[in-house]
Amino acid sequence: MNLLPSLAGMAAAVTGHLALPHIDYLSILPIMIMLGGAVAIIGWSSLLRRPLDVTWVTSLTVLTATAALTMSLFQWYSVLHSGAHTHIDGAVVMDGFSVLVSVLVTCATFVSAVVGDSWLRREDVRGPEYHVLMLVSASGAMTMGVANDLIVVFLGLEILSIALYVLAAFNPRRAESGEAALKYFVLGAFSSAVFVYGIALVYGATGTSNLPQIADFLARNVALHDGLLLAGLALLLVGFGFKIAAVPFHLWTPDVYQGSPTPVTGFMAAVAKAGGFAALLRVFVSSFHLLRADWQPPVWVLACITLVLGAVVALLQQDIKRMLAYSSINHAGFILLGLQAATARGVEASLYYLFVYSFMVIGTFGVISVVAGRGDRDHGLETYRGLASRQPWLAGALVVLLLAQAGVPFTTGFVAKLEVVTAAVHGGSTALAVVAMVTAAIAAFFYLRVGVLMYTPAQNGTGEDGDMAAALGGAAPSSDDPVLVGVGEAGSITVGALGSAPPVPAGAAFGIALCVVVTVVFGIWPQPLTAFAHHATLVLAP
Amino acid sequence: MKDYLPIFVLLVLGFLFAALSLVASKLLAPRRRPTSAKIAPYECGIVPDREQPQRFPVRFYLVAMIFIIFDIEIVFLYPWAVIFRQLQTFGLVEVLVFAGVVFVSFLYLVSNGALDWGPAKRLRPAAPQRTARTTITRVPGGPSAGSGHEAA
Repeated sequence: MNLLPSLAGMAAAVTGHLALPHIDYLSILPIMIMLGGAVAIIGWSSLLRRPLDVTWVTSLTVLTATAALTMSLFQWYSVLHSGAHTHIDGAVVMDGFSVLVSVLVTCATFVSAVVGDSWLRREDVRGPEYHVLMLVSASGAMTMGVANDLIVVFLGLEILSIALYVLAAFNPRRAESGEAALKYFVLGAFSSAVFVYGIALVYGATGTSNLPQIADFLARNVALHDGLLLAGLALLLVGFGFKIAAVPFHLWTPDVYQGSPTPVTGFMAAVAKAGGFAALLRVFVSSFHLLRADWQPPVWVLACITLVLGAVVALLQQDIKRMLAYSSINHAGFILLGLQAATARGVEASLYYLFVYSFMVIGTFGVISVVAGRGDRDHGLETYRGLASRQPWLAGALVVLLLAQAGVPFTTGFVAKLEVVTAAVHGGSTALAVVAMVTAAIAAFFYLRVGVLMYTPAQNGTGEDGDMAAALGGAAPSSDDPVLVGVGEAGSITVGALGSAPPVPAGAAFGIALCVVVTVVFGIWPQPLTAFAHHATLVLAP
Repeated sequence: MKDYLPIFVLLVLGFLFAALSLVASKLLAPRRRPTSAKIAPYECGIVPDREQPQRFPVRFYLVAMIFIIFDIEIVFLYPWAVIFRQLQTFGLVEVLVFAGVVFVSFLYLVSNGALDWGPAKRLRPAAPQRTARTTITRVPGGPSAGSGHEAA
């Protein structure tokens, strides 16, 4: 009976004239540039007899990301002067929030492209696939940032995730890489299904999947039986929880971070988190703001256990990538503080945190990628013993980035933590803010442990060049990997080059340096970035 | 609430079907335990006397991918073809862009040797070539350690 009117409507649509929505291309131009660049690179490479050289692919990717970044800044100009708008029949929105996510993702792609370039050369992987998949994945994250409709959020989520599943499996020489990809794929597909079910229930309860219309519906109607809506909301939260790796939906994170190629891990930690949090903040804070009394307590609990478990379990890790995976869970807890506050200030703080965290984490994984050596295997903490004497610049960069993650003053990490904690206190969750500060203190321990380890001389290291290889050989077996490939290499190179460390590849050096500069400069002079985040308000301000 | 009745009925029917199938197979199945011949991969035919070779060509998957590419193209072309007059020039341009993107993925597959039958010649190596240098690990402290060889 209910079907008949809709069928009639469809018939009218088929026979009558179709009203095409007006499309303002500026609103989706950065996304189109990223996708267009990806298609152009892979198309060009396919037409050649041999796959496109890595130098070319990296240059084109950097060019694409820069073009998209420039367009995002044009969007910013447009938002500042003519205000935020929804476009394409309300499917996407161009506001300060979406522009900031766009800028974040394009910057992260830029840095990941140059860091990944060094990885590809070292592992001798040819072809444009790595960079193309990264561009596609980034466009998915940007779609999540501009999405103004739950279906568009889902579309972005899938574009982001499917490319990442492939990227996680990108190292064919490591079995862990395939394992990571399979785990990520199965759990990601599962969480997507949960997310879509949530969309269906919300649609069933409100009659629309458009975010402002949902807010409008909630403002006009008081649901007597809101079980369906709350169930939908819960499923949406679970679906997002998987993507942002909030406890208890974090189980994939350590294995996937450990198994994926290291530059991919950095990209994943920055961009997948940014996309997930962008959509989460927009959906919950702007559309379901009126229901905040219902969703704030669960988010409080999620944030609390995410903070505590991330910090405590990271203490026990012997593998630096696993340790940073748990540390990223801890960071997700901090970003959830801003969501839990459900205020404009909270959103601003979360966005700022995401922005600076993406630089810190890509830089950190860039250093780890260089230290891991050929084969991307050496991730044991003992590998870092005495790194400062072998590669002082690399060790210095890692110390700065880890201190920033720990939230030491004069780095962006400090400002970020300060902002979210302040937002939580102003939002009335003082207890949660205290928990966050305690976990920050716990987390500082495992960041500093790596720092101290790097400045501890290698065991048995007497400073004579001839003993260096033996010292390294003695130091590394604790990374319970029987194949000591990188050790042999480091040892032989040390012997061959009389103590001078292998040079850091140019791409990785540039990427890491950029991350360190951003982290330190905006840590000492935070005003531009905080102002940027302050203006990045949602179109439906809470 | 009345609208949800069919869904509920379907749910009950689904559970009933699963339960009945299990019960029926318990009741009707022969009682004998499976013999070793029964649990062999093929009940009739030649008994395999060695392990399967571990490597096999994945050419079939490439063909399947080509199929999927054009399958998806048709899935989107069909609704467009039904109302292409109402979609006007805009619809035509959009479909051309879409077809272009799909065609690029086809080009990519072809450049990867998806249409090269016969012995693999132009297949692009995804991983570094397997040679003695890449597969044999030199353990430090062994006879060759420190002689300047790269062990990776």
